[in-house]
Amino acid sequence: MKTRPLLSETMAAHGVSRRTFMKYCATLASVMALPPALAPRIAQALERARRPSVIWLSFQECTGCTESITRSHAPTIEEMIFNTISLDYQDTLQAAAGHQAEAARHQAMKENYGKYLVVVEGSIPVANPAYSCFAGRSNLDVLKETAAGAAAIVTVGTCAAYGGIPHAMPNPTGARAVSDIITDKPIINVPGCPPIPVVMTGVLAHFLTFGVPELDDLGRPKAFYGDVIHDRCYRRPFYDKGLFAETFDDEGARAGWCLYKLGCKGPTTHSVCATVKWNGGVSFPIQSGHPCLGCTQPDFWDGGGFYKPLSVPTGDYRALAAGGVGVGAVVGAAGALVGRGVKAEAARKHETVDAHDLEKPS
Amino acid sequence: MTASLERGLNALREQIDAPVASFFTSCVHCGLCAEACVFYRETEDPRYIPIRKLDPMRRLWRREFTLFGRIGAMLGLVRPVTDADLGEWETLVYDSCTLCGRCTLVCPVGNDITLMIRKMREGMSAAGHTPKELIGAAVRHVETNSLMGNLAPALRAQVKRSVAETGIDIGFDQPGVDYMVILSAQETMDYPEILSSMARIFKKAGISWTIASDGFEATNVGVQIGSRDIARILVARVVEAAERLGVKGVVSPECGHAYQALRWEGPNLMGRAFNFEVVHIVELLDRLRAEGKLPTKGMESRRVTFHDPCQINRRGGIDREPRRLMALVASDFVETDDAGAMNWCCGGGGGVGANERATKLRLTAFKRKKAQLEKVNPDKLITMCAYCHHTIEEAMEEYHMEIEVQGLTDFVATYLDDEPAGA
Repeated sequence: MKTRPLLSETMAAHGVSRRTFMKYCATLASVMALPPALAPRIAQALERARRPSVIWLSFQECTGCTESITRSHAPTIEEMIFNTISLDYQDTLQAAAGHQAEAARHQAMKENYGKYLVVVEGSIPVANPAYSCFAGRSNLDVLKETAAGAAAIVTVGTCAAYGGIPHAMPNPTGARAVSDIITDKPIINVPGCPPIPVVMTGVLAHFLTFGVPELDDLGRPKAFYGDVIHDRCYRRPFYDKGLFAETFDDEGARAGWCLYKLGCKGPTTHSVCATVKWNGGVSFPIQSGHPCLGCTQPDFWDGGGFYKPLSVPTGDYRALAAGGVGVGAVVGAAGALVGRGVKAEAARKHETVDAHDLEKPS
Repeated sequence: MTASLERGLNALREQIDAPVASFFTSCVHCGLCAEACVFYRETEDPRYIPIRKLDPMRRLWRREFTLFGRIGAMLGLVRPVTDADLGEWETLVYDSCTLCGRCTLVCPVGNDITLMIRKMREGMSAAGHTPKELIGAAVRHVETNSLMGNLAPALRAQVKRSVAETGIDIGFDQPGVDYMVILSAQETMDYPEILSSMARIFKKAGISWTIASDGFEATNVGVQIGSRDIARILVARVVEAAERLGVKGVVSPECGHAYQALRWEGPNLMGRAFNFEVVHIVELLDRLRAEGKLPTKGMESRRVTFHDPCQINRRGGIDREPRRLMALVASDFVETDDAGAMNWCCGGGGGVGANERATKLRLTAFKRKKAQLEKVNPDKLITMCAYCHHTIEEAMEEYHMEIEVQGLTDFVATYLDDEPAGA
């Protein structure tokens, strides 16, 4: 087995200066909501890290997540980190094909058994495995085989994390999430359609430095999915003031008011979109004038329409409210009548208090 | 008739009206009133949280005035108010509340807790759960002319002394004069110097005044004990004397609840508006100052501070007047923390000072005032309520504090320029 170069050596070979590297570590620390003092620790850990072997499995997906991470607008440091892991198998990017490719996967598994990281992109068809196969084997088969020797699994994108679009009603392929199939390995969900590149590399960096990050109840790293977009949205003040765009071409839309009434799912969607943003921090959907679709949440495709506001109830609520007001008025009037009666009776019974009456007979 | 639980509950029912119902309904249990109360702040005993002092009345309201409460009562979910409850609450309603009104001012939903304590006392007194000292004072006041018994001879003696001292005549029962002056028993007995001070100031300002021999007592124990029937009898003496003498106005003296009783509760107790003006002595002095009828000479150069009596400032609205007067005669005037409408109570008002068993609690509550004073370290403390004056002097004795206390009218009169011109 040949000695793999240290991460820092690879970085130097790619022309990444130490200063740039340290800046990146500080950014990662802040993105991961870690104290700034931990930045040198991240740097140290990353520098000493041997290039970890990563096997990237592409199942039922659109390759958008791979696009997201590789098609950053310019060569970024995230890309460098991504490049410096030992990506031993990635069927979109690798030069090898056919038997050679499969051989590479098997070799990586054999050499790093129990230590390699599996990245899964896409959901797994279970009802009819024939919908998605490669090298004549079903996704289900390959996932089980590859996961067996993995240190951990990172699901990239909502498809792998929660089933995503293939899982949307009526789910013809019987698509399932990785966590539905693999239950004996740590799984880090990095949902999003696609996820933000720095979130993906941030999770990888965290795994390399501190191991599996703290996860929320949906298996997502809390550092990146702790807050809802709404809480960090720059349009939040408009929401608080009750200023909403009603259509996409009205005054409110032009003035940049809150998109809640146009169906924005920001209030229920956990992601760092509003702070980290996309395309190197240029913008994010809400800033570009479109409501959030809620792509980091399970079943976001089946939420009853992207342009339907979150709180619109179903049914004849107006009549119900009117009825409620009526009943309330009757109950209130009855209560007032009761009180009035008690008070009038008390006034009738009033006996003038004399100073000599004050002592209680013992 | 004697006091009984049934009479007490009936009195409470009479007191529960739309404001009380809305106050109880809108209370959000935030606890802000706790921090506002001097008795809670100095003891941190949760029993002294102002709104809790109203619990029996709140329960009665729920049981009998609300639909759900009535249903709850039928199902045995809302306990009835018992004589033992009222007995337990007696110390809360009378010993740990001076009706100072601070809780009312901080309540975020605008509940007038002080008003409700006043109402609750109506029920407590009718049920026979009042401190014995207040009962004794009520009997004395109704039977004679003052809560201290017959004070007429003492008052005449004080007037005689004052006339001898100033050479200015003070007439009794003179009809048609500008003002009828009433005095609190505390002033008549402890601080009679107020007579000479008023005589000199009024003479300089050209104001004619008199004292009614059958309506000179300003205090009203009915207001403190919480009995509007008794309060009406007592306030009627003053109102009828003023109307008989046909004066322009009645000067309410340096006494907190006396001002409250005549100016704010008075017309409601009598059930009609007065045809004379009720003016607090400090209000009148400030008016004279503005008209240039209060010439002064010299100033107090020692460090002086001011204590706001709750019934006169917070609940009476006289806030700027004493400050303008202080500016006139004190060169080193310093305000304490929370001065003005949010000032801390002396701890003795509302009948607490007369209540023997509340002494320890009252002295504990005074620690707040003590801390306020120690921070500014004055040589002298001025106030405009004889009972605050008395309470503070007594507590200072207890805590070995060396600060002189003086009434504002007397303080201003010290620097009154009433020497004849050229003398």
